[in-house]
Amino acid sequence: MLAYAVRRVLYTIPVLLGVALLVFLLFNTVGEDPVRVALGRHATAQSIAELRAQWGLDKPVPLQFLDFLGQIVTFDYGVSFNSGEKLSKLFTQGAAVSLWLTVPPFVVGFVVNIAFGLLVAYYRGSFFDRFSTAILIMTMSISYLVYIIGFQYFLGYRLELFPVSGYEPGFEGLKYLLLPWLIILTVTAGEDVRMYRTMFLDETQADYVRTARAKGLSEPAVLVRHVLKNAMIPIVTYTMVAIPFLLMGAFLMERYFSLPGVGDLMISSINSGDFPVLKGLTMVLAIAYSAMVLLTDLIYAWVDPRVSLR
Amino acid sequence: MRFITLALLCLVIACGDSTGKGGTDTPSAAPKKIFQFMRQEAYKSLDPVKQFDGASAELIQNVYDSLLEYDYLSRPYRMVPNLLTKMPELSADGLTYSFELRSDVRFVDDPCFPGGKGRPLVTDDVIYSLKRFAHGSLNVKSYTLWQGAVQGMNEFREQTQKGADMNKLDIAGIKKIDDHKFTITLSQQNPLALFPLAASQTAIVAREAVEKYGAEFEQHPVGTGPFKIKTLQRRGVTILEKNPTYHGTYPSEGEPSDEATGLLAARGKKLPFIDEIHLPLIEEPQPAMLKFLSGKMDWVAMDRDNFAKMGFKDEKGFHLRPEYVGKYEIYSAQMLTTEYWSFNQKDKLVGKNKALRQAIAYGLDIPTMLDKLENGRGVAIKSIVPPDIAGSERDTKADGYSHNIELAKQKLIEAGFPGGKGLPPITIEYRASTTRTRQQFEWNRAELAKAGITLLANFQTFSAYLQRIESGNFQVGISGWQADYPDAENFYALMYGPNKRPGPNEADWSNPEYDKLYEQSRFMPNGPERFALFARMNEILREEVPAIVTYTQIACGLRQNWVKNFKRNVMIDVPFKYFDMDPAAQAKGIQGAK
Amino acid sequence: MTEPTISQPIEHVSPLRRGLRQLMRRRIVQFSLVVLALYVLVALLGIVGLLPDYQERVGTGYQPPSFDGGIAVILGTDVFGRSVLYKILAGTRTAMLIGAMVPLIAVPIGVSLGAIAGFYGGKIDAFIVWLFSVISSLPYILIVLAISFVLGKGMVAICVAMGLVGWVGLCRLVRAELIKHREREYVLAARLLGASDAVLIFKHILPNVLHVAIITASLQVLGAIKSEVILTYLGVGIQDGSSWGTMISDASGELVQSIWWPLAGVVTAMFFVIYALNVLGDALRDALDPKLLDR
Repeated sequence: MLAYAVRRVLYTIPVLLGVALLVFLLFNTVGEDPVRVALGRHATAQSIAELRAQWGLDKPVPLQFLDFLGQIVTFDYGVSFNSGEKLSKLFTQGAAVSLWLTVPPFVVGFVVNIAFGLLVAYYRGSFFDRFSTAILIMTMSISYLVYIIGFQYFLGYRLELFPVSGYEPGFEGLKYLLLPWLIILTVTAGEDVRMYRTMFLDETQADYVRTARAKGLSEPAVLVRHVLKNAMIPIVTYTMVAIPFLLMGAFLMERYFSLPGVGDLMISSINSGDFPVLKGLTMVLAIAYSAMVLLTDLIYAWVDPRVSLR
Repeated sequence: MRFITLALLCLVIACGDSTGKGGTDTPSAAPKKIFQFMRQEAYKSLDPVKQFDGASAELIQNVYDSLLEYDYLSRPYRMVPNLLTKMPELSADGLTYSFELRSDVRFVDDPCFPGGKGRPLVTDDVIYSLKRFAHGSLNVKSYTLWQGAVQGMNEFREQTQKGADMNKLDIAGIKKIDDHKFTITLSQQNPLALFPLAASQTAIVAREAVEKYGAEFEQHPVGTGPFKIKTLQRRGVTILEKNPTYHGTYPSEGEPSDEATGLLAARGKKLPFIDEIHLPLIEEPQPAMLKFLSGKMDWVAMDRDNFAKMGFKDEKGFHLRPEYVGKYEIYSAQMLTTEYWSFNQKDKLVGKNKALRQAIAYGLDIPTMLDKLENGRGVAIKSIVPPDIAGSERDTKADGYSHNIELAKQKLIEAGFPGGKGLPPITIEYRASTTRTRQQFEWNRAELAKAGITLLANFQTFSAYLQRIESGNFQVGISGWQADYPDAENFYALMYGPNKRPGPNEADWSNPEYDKLYEQSRFMPNGPERFALFARMNEILREEVPAIVTYTQIACGLRQNWVKNFKRNVMIDVPFKYFDMDPAAQAKGIQGAK
Repeated sequence: MTEPTISQPIEHVSPLRRGLRQLMRRRIVQFSLVVLALYVLVALLGIVGLLPDYQERVGTGYQPPSFDGGIAVILGTDVFGRSVLYKILAGTRTAMLIGAMVPLIAVPIGVSLGAIAGFYGGKIDAFIVWLFSVISSLPYILIVLAISFVLGKGMVAICVAMGLVGWVGLCRLVRAELIKHREREYVLAARLLGASDAVLIFKHILPNVLHVAIITASLQVLGAIKSEVILTYLGVGIQDGSSWGTMISDASGELVQSIWWPLAGVVTAMFFVIYALNVLGDALRDALDPKLLDR
């Protein structure tokens, strides 16, 4: 087990290197040119050269990449071209907002959707099942953007149930998050419930379920006591891998509702070629993602020893 | 499990009630005047010498002061003293300006000062700030605004670039006389040399703050301006609060109509009137408009879609639709911008074929395009200088190209492509990929097709556009320019030969006669002599068509009834210090909107 | 001893065919197939140029839907006076093309790389696993945006971008299946009989994996159509005004003016095709999943 763990950890290193290379190549060589964005039409040959030098963009590309690798190792991604703020500060500020946006509906959604999935699996084939499935598919058939525009207009502006946009830190700020939360729950319900339903149904085909039923156990008991527990492995795997992306927030939501989160930060950085922020954000996300995958694999190996023998 | 969802719903509705309509929900003893506005973009830096974008300038202009500023009410836009007792006096040889600082200007209280108390502003602060502006490493963005104008500044810059300590070096042309008097000597006679002193980049900072906060200074302004920072969130809500020791007073003169509209009622009163300004970052126009319509925002700019709902234009100007009259106020002001099409002189097709360029000029129908696509929020122009600046077509009687399909077709024949036969499609580079640019393109494409000219478009991001233009690899570029200062020279410079790429002369055009006239006219004072030169320059531009000037934008927006002293000023953009408001009316909000 | 005779041949219907037949009987599936066929028909008409020209101005400005004025104004007109209906039809063509192109790029890449990785193992496997791990670690939008920067704008660019990112999921699944199957007896037997690697992969193993590919492909079609909307909003993708994404993007400003018909039109159009694709994808999954087939 230990050997497996060590191997797995070592394995993430080339992956992260690959990510760093990809990010570096993509944004240094293609993307926006931050110098031109900053200078606009007031650029002169001299000011372009001076700003490039100040931002270290005049160094040869391989050297810039080495610098970048150094930044990753020391967790110091430098300062944003746009605002001069340290990336760590930008990221923690933005992450606080993004997590407030994505985590509560994620948690609530998890509980609600599993419960609903169980229910639908229990009543499979019935009118309730088919009707719910139909409704869920319908909610999945509308674009995310349409939800945002529509809900903001109707629920925020016309019916005045929620504030249209805004953000405040702390408890008073909760009211600005309610509508975004509602949208996220609505958008993700369809996919999640049906995924859980499939996983539950898969489990109900297993032998141990037939045994339990043969023993006389009632169907709800079978579901909750056996199926739920066993289905949790694939469910948790599916869920855990989504967690790192919670950090990124939901950039569309953040733009429309004026929530200063990480997702919106990423999009504006792409638009203005703010390399330090882009590279820093993507690396942090990639590291978080690799960590989560690693964790999941290790838990899998611990739970199912056969895995580590490969 | 359904109960959880039900409970959530109850919680939601309960909270919904508390949002309500209208103003703020913090009750207080004496009603505070809180102005609710917004920012559309995140600022880059609050250090005057490290920024060159509108979002930063807006905040800097409200927490810092520059030596000069633009008068709020007078038109045409002119400079007036801000930190000075009077406008600087020019010496007999026209090279040296004498400045006298006011004695009642104080920096705000801040821990960087001894005892945390702000202190009066003196000449040393001015010289310190101007040195920072000229510094080779500190200011890599905006030095071009004043490059070469002041004696010894370029040399100072070179030295600092090599690493010299700016505190041990002097700028030859800037001399201190005493704590409130100093002079600036120019390298040549130049009436434009004072304009940069009204810009946000030359705002006066306190040395103590720069030295104490170091890298954090960009987010920790310490100024003399009408407001100070209460809460600074770059991407969230930034809150400004009143500076009680501000020196400014409301202007006593303006345009003839200002007296009647009540804009001079506050003449001479101490500024600012507003206690607090809330500036959340709202990047999408729809949520901003929704917020304004429900009374939660006091001022909003209108884009095309919002304007169509709220107002309309007739010969007399812009008006609110009848159902909104009384609920809001509408305003409009011509901006100091020029939109134009640049023809790449190096392109084999459009660069070498004058008749073709003229054909395109005749083919465009700008007035109708402005009507249909911009609700008339623009005015077609004939000269590269916006109408509100001295030296524009109002003064030079310049002639441009009016929409005329017949003439366009004739010119096409002259160009060698009768009826468009044999003419390859022409590609237009757009500097943004938005609904607006797309629709403008589709409109122009349809118009020019009538003459037989086929257009293609390339929508890209701003920096991709700049790079493309710089590479010289384009045919036509859609350009725009906003005045750095209200003088015609700023616009004629766009066609000046030596300003070729990567300068603003995108077309890479140069015409010896034009260049000579430009050099002659640039430093002349406004008057018939200068305008005569401009007239000839316009003729050359019209004949050679290195660019087709299309239109000047009109800023249009709405404000709430309870906002007072409001006059749109395109050189100041966010003149918060002059605004006043009625907080009781704000709290009551909009009655029966929608 | 007499040889056992079989009185009538045993009709061997593969579970696959049985599943599909069952699937076809359900009404909702039939309905979805009809809807999908309609959309494909519109798309084909668009490709050969038989659709009405959406650029044509049938009105002067925004006009609400009306029944008198001909079929062009039945869903109203946009800011230029162009028919909303025609724009939706043009958007259908775009959406179907994207929905077809993306899986056409992603599925072959995913299947082949997954098969090679799973079958051969070793260094090739390690490389391919590294490749898809790197791609999975980055947010989808980021990579697609970045690739679009490289390839420029337009339909082909974003299809390639989405395809280059979308092969990962399928590759993982195919690889897992290959690993499972390569040790099975039938493979060992075929190998003993002298079958080459290629034959083994393509003739023997992959058919068992086909259902995964089909299901993934159907999900990809869906995903591509929905992603296009977001990508157009972000400024990449189709720029000539003929996509649903453009219409939704424009709708944001229109709603404030109480102009609801362009949004309503495009949302309805998208809704039906995505709904149909969802139903078909589900039904296919139910029909093809071997686990459920053993019911």
